[in-house]
Amino acid sequence: MIKTVNVTKNFGDLKVLKGITETISLSEVVAVIGPSGSGKSTFLRCLNQLEEPTSGEVYLDEVQLNDPAIDINFQRTKMGMVFQHFNLFPHKTILENITLSPIKVKKEDPKEAKARALKLLERIGLSDKANAYPKQLSGGQKQRVAIVRALAMQPEVMLFDEPTSALDPEMVGEVLDLMKSLAKEGMTMVVVTHEMGFAREVADRVLFMDEGLVVEEGDPKSIFDAPQEKRTQEFLAKIL
Amino acid sequence: MVYWKLLTEYRHYFLQGIGYTLFLSFFSVILGLTLGVIMALSKMSKNKILNFLATGYIEIIRGTPLLVQVFIIYYNGIIDMGPVVAGIIALSLNSSAYTAEIVRAGIQAVDKGQMEASRSLGMTSGLAMREVILPQAIKNILPALGNEFIVVIKESAVISIIGVGELMRQTNIVRGITFRQIEPLVLVAGIYFVLTYSLSKLLGRFERRLKESD
Repeated sequence: MIKTVNVTKNFGDLKVLKGITETISLSEVVAVIGPSGSGKSTFLRCLNQLEEPTSGEVYLDEVQLNDPAIDINFQRTKMGMVFQHFNLFPHKTILENITLSPIKVKKEDPKEAKARALKLLERIGLSDKANAYPKQLSGGQKQRVAIVRALAMQPEVMLFDEPTSALDPEMVGEVLDLMKSLAKEGMTMVVVTHEMGFAREVADRVLFMDEGLVVEEGDPKSIFDAPQEKRTQEFLAKIL
Repeated sequence: MVYWKLLTEYRHYFLQGIGYTLFLSFFSVILGLTLGVIMALSKMSKNKILNFLATGYIEIIRGTPLLVQVFIIYYNGIIDMGPVVAGIIALSLNSSAYTAEIVRAGIQAVDKGQMEASRSLGMTSGLAMREVILPQAIKNILPALGNEFIVVIKESAVISIIGVGELMRQTNIVRGITFRQIEPLVLVAGIYFVLTYSLSKLLGRFERRLKESD
């Protein structure tokens, strides 16, 4: 479903990604772990072209995304993204946050978009917040709204960029629970995370990145219980 | 008392002057804002030519005296547009260079994540600008824009040099009629101060209301 071929990214002289070739299949949940500065967020952002790769190719369903000739805005409607800092629109209500893109980008009927948004809010138990503004919500509530805002576009893939890193510890659970239920429904997910428990429990595959490369990958069991590479062992020893 | 006598006897001069000054300043700020937004967007655009033109424009306007700009616009050697139009154009062009920087700073103060989230939802950069960035930037821009209005009111005194009957010009006329120098000048300073001070108080109140809606 998503394919990257030898993707590199430089910021000036700094080589952040040094050639990543990966394939992510339908309904797969891939967790990307690794130390800060290893390039995992940059890799994720290359998938929906928030960062343009310096070289290499990124494909979504056989369409090359880093080709200037394609309509990237249309392609992005198929990939939802959730950010570390939620990035809800503070001047819009929760409901407007969710319906803005379906109405303005996908030209959906406002009534239908609203009905679906309300259903999504019901799912996360925040129906009563439909007309509230983001600042009236807790961090965990904001992040769950950000997730359903992305879902409202009915994407094929969801990208998560450290979705729980900015949350107070007691709010991490509610966000992870929502992500788990998405995974159960068969959503294709790429999750950059520091939540090793989540990676172990939910991911089908774990990528360990360091210094711009995927150093080791495999199912969670083999990565966490029997890492082969020295750098993976060192990293896991530090955080587990 | 000589000041009172001046103010009552020549009130028509001063009232007309206040009217012109406010009229000139208001239109200059509006036109300056329009042009300023265009310049700000050009300066932030990825298009190198637009970027170069906008940067050059802003630097040249900010780096030359308003008085010189007024003369160049007025005696442009091509068309005779009359002092009022020339005055408004000169003030607008001058103000737009400062407004451009205000607008640019206001837009750039909006968190980068807002644009990224918008783009990740499939919005074009134009749609994201209209729906997400500008509505938030306005809150940063309005207070500074109010200050720009105050600045333009003061700067508009320069326009008297090409014979527009604004406050400063009217004061000079009163000086001519009465053969008094210092009193009309002190008086007009007072009038300018009352105008700018009440405007700044008004803006302060407006700004507090904006903050409350945060």
